[in-house]
Amino acid sequence: MSKAKISRRGLLGAAGAASAVSLFAGPWQHNRVWAQGAAKPLRIGITADASGMYANSGASDKRGMMMAIAEANERGGVLGRKVEFVHIDTETTAATGSRVAERMISREQCGFLVGAVHSGVANAISQVAQKYGVIYINTNSSSPTEAGQNCHRVKFVFDGNGTNFAKAAVKSAIERFGPDWMLLTNDYVWGHDTAAATKTLLKDYGGKVMEEVLIPQGTRDFTSALLKVQQRKPGVVSAAIGGDDQKAMRQQVVQLKMGDKPAWINSQQDWDDVYGLPIETLFGVFGTTWYYRLDLPGVADFVKRYQAMYPETAMRSPGNVFYNGYMAIRELLGAIERAGTTNNIAVIKALEGHKISARDRMQHFDATIDAQTHQVQQTIYLATANKAPKEKDDIFEVLSQAKAEDVRDTDSAKLCKLEPYEQTPTFDA
Amino acid sequence: MAPLNPDGPRMIDLLPHIINGLTLGLLFALIALGFTLIVGVMEVINLAHGSLFAIGAYFALTVIAGSWFAGTPFGAWWLSLPLGLRYVLALAIGPALAGLAGMLLELCLRPTYGKPPLYGLLLTFGAALVIEELIRLVWGTGEQNLALPQAINGAFLLNGMIFSTYRFFAAGFSIAAIIAVWLFLERTSAGAVIKAGAHDSEMVRALGYDLARLRLVVFGFGAALAGLAGVVMVPIWGLRPHVGVDIVIPAFLIIVVGGVGSFWGAVIAALLVGLAIGITGAYAAAWSTMSMYLLLIAILGFRSRGLLGRKSALEH
Repeated sequence: MSKAKISRRGLLGAAGAASAVSLFAGPWQHNRVWAQGAAKPLRIGITADASGMYANSGASDKRGMMMAIAEANERGGVLGRKVEFVHIDTETTAATGSRVAERMISREQCGFLVGAVHSGVANAISQVAQKYGVIYINTNSSSPTEAGQNCHRVKFVFDGNGTNFAKAAVKSAIERFGPDWMLLTNDYVWGHDTAAATKTLLKDYGGKVMEEVLIPQGTRDFTSALLKVQQRKPGVVSAAIGGDDQKAMRQQVVQLKMGDKPAWINSQQDWDDVYGLPIETLFGVFGTTWYYRLDLPGVADFVKRYQAMYPETAMRSPGNVFYNGYMAIRELLGAIERAGTTNNIAVIKALEGHKISARDRMQHFDATIDAQTHQVQQTIYLATANKAPKEKDDIFEVLSQAKAEDVRDTDSAKLCKLEPYEQTPTFDA
Repeated sequence: MAPLNPDGPRMIDLLPHIINGLTLGLLFALIALGFTLIVGVMEVINLAHGSLFAIGAYFALTVIAGSWFAGTPFGAWWLSLPLGLRYVLALAIGPALAGLAGMLLELCLRPTYGKPPLYGLLLTFGAALVIEELIRLVWGTGEQNLALPQAINGAFLLNGMIFSTYRFFAAGFSIAAIIAVWLFLERTSAGAVIKAGAHDSEMVRALGYDLARLRLVVFGFGAALAGLAGVVMVPIWGLRPHVGVDIVIPAFLIIVVGGVGSFWGAVIAALLVGLAIGITGAYAAAWSTMSMYLLLIAILGFRSRGLLGRKSALEH
């Protein structure tokens, strides 16, 4: 047992030192993760859904992030620090997203938050992240509001949004299938925002909305809506239906043999939602940001790395959700390296306006992280079911690729008001 | 909200939605029957009912796709069997295995008998979570597709409208299943004991029947019905690990509207819920899910024991 005694002078000295430290790292305008000194691992909070409507996509999102983290650690980490992650299920629920974000920042000592599929969840997480000044990357939620009215200085959006996809599709669809459109819209923020973008474009290009049918989230029976489509006889049905709702709808459209007529435009088709399903369920034209058989440098190697890292995963080929999760972490860690620090403002500045070459993105055209909205402006692909697949997983036929500047969401740019740097708490992970 | 017809709603426009609502209601009835049987006899609200629905569907998937035997001579032989035969086998094996799972769950429930209802509720809630995770481990997290024989797959044209053949097959199958269950309960001695158990289980025990065995059989039977509903429903709703969650709320709502423990109450309530969703879907789709809750409020507002629920002692 130590014989040292606590002297009054020693006690006063310790108290003084503690006060000095607390002044330096006080909570006002400057939040600090105590346990993370320079030699400590860099901890990333993965906010992916593991249950609820987007559980399946959330799992892919997480796998993408984990592969990027593993590769970064193989290269020696970031700024000499190992990269760790913590994952907590956000349950495809906005309230849970808020709680998870609070816990990851205040208790799990996460320096960065990454991940989302549901726009309501992404918005909830980003509000908490902005409060603390923690950088948050929304990987896979594609509501235009995420880089529009709900944008934040700390938030970056890596997926293409409903407006990008609509811009890529609407004009040519009006020319080909006529001006009479019906909208099937999931009754939540992403559905409404995507439908609003489509309506604006229809107005611009001379199309008209015969009717918009709002589909409550969690709908499993689409027969009423599909009967209504038959009764109204539109030339095109534009569906902004996501997750499990979309899976059920696809199944029922196929059963009614309505996949070919009318023409279907689906805003974005997440790979995870259709992987392994019969090809006939993949009707219509849909958007995506990436496909595993793009004939571009790096794609085949990326697919091989995925297959090597996840030999047990039923999904043998990665899709857009995995890709976005991977790219988000890779770009975040790249920005930290460029900034030479984990200070949030420095990393934000390293991300803002950053140009990524087409080769690095494994897409057809260069991409930019928009400094005005924080959305990655990237190549948008239109695809349909592949009637002549080269292998089992080859279910998409890419029809076209649009440059980022041709499909830019200009409305979001008008609505997005990023908080000034000085109003964003500084944070050093 | 735009009308179906610019000149205003017409009966001819509404008819497909009424038919759709009735078919949906029949499918709901199939789900609710097992639920109401278990609640009636056991007085346990089985929150794992949806998970048993999912188990039935997943076992049916295994039977139809033969995925567990892929790459073996048996697997090759199995897949050489006509799809129709595998589908018929799935309709028997899926519910049977769901019934066994239900019996296992009932054995776990035994320590909760005689305790406040919360114990049973929590146990079945926990079981639902466990079963969902087991499904993820065994069958994976992705969306699955239950292949259907060509004869019942596809669509037909009626009065200029396309209808799904399978949906009508499923509705017809539900009618047959409802009648079969009713005949079993009304015309067999085993059914009479189950009905008596639902009415007064202590009296059944006093008459010399083994109450523990009765509960085991009823739970297994109810679970098998849930499994059967799963096999029939998933070609319409799709199959994913949490598919069971989608049906628990409508099933629970239906047995409350129909009157807890009432066979025909559940059937009538299911048809009403189906009609409410179908017709609301035509005129105010955003309210289609809400419509079943409004129906619940409306019915319980003037008849608190549900449509055909038994009178409580307080009402005598």
